[in-house]
Amino acid sequence: MRHSALALALAAFFATPVADAEPLSAAQMVDLLKEIDDRQRNSGDYKALAFIEQREKDKEKVVYETVIYRRDADDKLMILFLRPKAEAGKGYLRVDENLFIYDPGVGKWERRTERERIGGTDSRRADFDESRLAVEFDPAYVGEAKLGKFPVHHLKLTAKDGVDAAYPVIELWIDKATGNILKAQDFALSGRLMRTAYYPKWRRIESASKGTPVYFPEQIRIYDEVEKENQTLIVMRKVDLDPLPANMFTKAWLESQSR
Amino acid sequence: MSGFARLQLLVYMALRSLWAHKVKSLIVGSLIGFGTMLFVLGTALLDSIEGAIERSVVHSLSGHLQVYSADGKDELAIFGDMTMGGADWGRIDDFAVIDEVISKVDNVEAVVPMGINTAYMTRGSDLERTLGRMREMVRAGQVADARALVPKVKRLVGLLDADLRNQLVIAGEDSAAELKEKLARAERAASDALWATFDSEPLSVLEFLDTRVAPLAGEGRVMFIRYVGTDLGRFAEHFDRLKVVRGEMVPDGRRGILINQKYADRVLKIAAARLLDDLAEAREASIPIEGTAELAAKARRLKTQGGAIELMLDPDDAEALALKLATLLGVETERNGEALDLGVLLELFLTVDDDNAIARHAFFYEQVAPLVDVYPFSVGDVVTIRAWTRNNALKAVNVRVWGTFVFEGLERSELTGAANLLDLMTFRELYGQMTATDRAELEAIRDEVGVEFVGRDNAEDALFGGGDSVEIDIGADDDFDAVAEADLKREKRTMAVSEEFDAEMNRKGLVLNAAIMLEDGDRIAESKAAIAAAAEAAGLKLKVVDWQEASGVLGQLALVVRVILYIAIFIIFAVALVIINNSMLMATMERVREIGTLRAIGAQRGFVMAMFLLETLVLGLIAGGLGALAGAGIVIWLGNVGIPAQNEIMVFIFSGNRLFPTVGAEHLGLGVIIILIVSLVSTWYPARMATRVEPIEAMRGAD
Repeated sequence: MRHSALALALAAFFATPVADAEPLSAAQMVDLLKEIDDRQRNSGDYKALAFIEQREKDKEKVVYETVIYRRDADDKLMILFLRPKAEAGKGYLRVDENLFIYDPGVGKWERRTERERIGGTDSRRADFDESRLAVEFDPAYVGEAKLGKFPVHHLKLTAKDGVDAAYPVIELWIDKATGNILKAQDFALSGRLMRTAYYPKWRRIESASKGTPVYFPEQIRIYDEVEKENQTLIVMRKVDLDPLPANMFTKAWLESQSR
Repeated sequence: MSGFARLQLLVYMALRSLWAHKVKSLIVGSLIGFGTMLFVLGTALLDSIEGAIERSVVHSLSGHLQVYSADGKDELAIFGDMTMGGADWGRIDDFAVIDEVISKVDNVEAVVPMGINTAYMTRGSDLERTLGRMREMVRAGQVADARALVPKVKRLVGLLDADLRNQLVIAGEDSAAELKEKLARAERAASDALWATFDSEPLSVLEFLDTRVAPLAGEGRVMFIRYVGTDLGRFAEHFDRLKVVRGEMVPDGRRGILINQKYADRVLKIAAARLLDDLAEAREASIPIEGTAELAAKARRLKTQGGAIELMLDPDDAEALALKLATLLGVETERNGEALDLGVLLELFLTVDDDNAIARHAFFYEQVAPLVDVYPFSVGDVVTIRAWTRNNALKAVNVRVWGTFVFEGLERSELTGAANLLDLMTFRELYGQMTATDRAELEAIRDEVGVEFVGRDNAEDALFGGGDSVEIDIGADDDFDAVAEADLKREKRTMAVSEEFDAEMNRKGLVLNAAIMLEDGDRIAESKAAIAAAAEAAGLKLKVVDWQEASGVLGQLALVVRVILYIAIFIIFAVALVIINNSMLMATMERVREIGTLRAIGAQRGFVMAMFLLETLVLGLIAGGLGALAGAGIVIWLGNVGIPAQNEIMVFIFSGNRLFPTVGAEHLGLGVIIILIVSLVSTWYPARMATRVEPIEAMRGAD
């Protein structure tokens, strides 16, 4: 029931601007971003089995199997590496604005920045974390466009003052029909294009805690725009929204997994 | 007239003529002498410098020759380049294979495997490090020991609190709310309520401090470390300049790192110690601080280092040090009824000038250094070093510091001082070496997922060309417990490298390059060709370079200096040539009567020619000989007193703190021969003119 109501509300939301073929107003764009954020947020916990593969020219392929843990209500994130053996037990933990990495091989933690390449791939912390587009960025309308066969809104987002985003400027191509992001381009402060990411499929699952579905991209395909031969593929294989243990998002928990 | 008598006559005439034209002879002779002296001095110095650079390069890191993969995109630079370890020198997958081939080549003494790269170490903030120690103690069940560090944590939190309050005073409205929130965290960290729970829940207290408070206290330090991964035993055997100064050599078959003493003193040491070292050293050499811009800047920087020292002190030590500093500085420990702040005392102590620099340096090492960590680690400690693997993944390893070392004679050189020595196994781990098993494991994970890559050019059509909705409704979620399935506890670190190893494991495996030591270092070119031929015959794709090529710009230094000197000598000799030529031409004009008379009494043209040439030859021999002897004298004198190296680059070029040049017979011989050739060439044309003088012209002159 709630699901249908949301769908109806979304249809009404998108119908006006599309029908008139006019850009979205600033307020509508912010609402759109809030909607994108809200869809991906779960009021309870979130756990995903993610596969990450990196390909680079003249280098060995890098493949990881990881579990992503999120507690959106507390802004917490954890990425635990399961495979390959050499990486098993490694993990990232985000607490507040800090990202920590743990290496069981040396039993030590290290603080990393927003620009950390997760496992050395082209993915960043924000690719796995809850979506905070409306909170962290101001949108501007670039125009309407088509991506493959999909009509899209093309938006340009600029990071708000004081926000330490991995990329201060993002351009988004948002599916008019469903409101999902299909393509994103990340820019450095200098204006240089750094990454292009595609989100070909979005999945919805019911959340008992939230009452409405939670969205997540089934695949993220990231193309490095600096080292043109490099690309990263993220596949969210399974997602589980059941509550996680209360004390999970701690250094002690992550350490205990490999001890 | 016999040949000898003729020669005697010619020599006599030459000497007579030289004496008759004393001024001209003196000018031309001085020029010849000066040129020869410069040539002898220059070539002798250059040869000595070249030899010294060779000793610096060959016996510290490069060996006589280096080999690396022909697939490498960049040229080998043993002493570093601008890429911070990112250079692509290719890789040699199995050192044993090239060792086998190259060792058999004539004149090869040894092949030493190498892998040069850059890693980094971090030194967290003092709060982070103290909390880290407490966590380790708690994990080991030593809660009481951890509790002993609580006063230190409270003190550090107090300093953080004060710092945040200062920030709040000057903060604008935008950042005030954020600062207040941080301040609340710091207040909670100092509160008794929090510490009351430490005994019952130490880890949760530390968790809060670790993740929510420690990050407020700054970033700590990142120290980049350039290392040469090598078979340490083999390296020590063949690079005879290596000398362990503290600790011991890494034992065979064990992992470990040897830290370069120069790197430890210039990079690892805390800034206050480094700056005091520099200022005291300058004062010992009587260099004024105030009058030297660089030293004055260092003195200003030193004044700001009190805070860093204060953070490292335990509460009791801080109090004791405050008293000692007050006594030293002759100030009251109390001012206006309040105890004088240690920060103020430290700033006064670190205010160094020409008069107190040496004394403050001594006091620092006697009283302050024992209370703080001057170096981030000690010999015997296990340190964590991190590096990006070839695939850009961050790799961390724990490795024991067995000792520190110097390259003898090059202790002051920062070029050789930047290289640290690491065992080969750890290098391979940091490089991200993969085995066939590792690759198979990755392939199995990929197969499980079964998603293919899409090329960037057709990505949009391939991904969005179908037109179906991008949304998939999967209803319920997946219940999974991948962590339990993976069983992380049993999974240990990769077996691609071993904790302990034998010589054969060290020999078999990945390296990036290898140094080749020759039995006879004078046969470099010949051995280089022989090794290249042997490698090619064995089907190995290797580049073979000599030490000059392998050391990049440094190796070319001697060549550059030589070119500059040769240009200078060429100019001097060219000037000499013109002057001699002109003087002889004028002499010819003046001596037309004499020549005509000689011709009239039967002297042939050849005799006249020989007369002129011999005159210059005699002058060249006398002046050139004297010049060569003067040059040799100067070199011998310099060889006794030594030429001091003014800076660390000169230390490398001189292969020590002083260069003691030597001169050989070849320098003198070559100098004299070249000046004689120049003299003869410059006299050739005037002599030819003289031969054309007819006897009749002498008669006319008489009229």
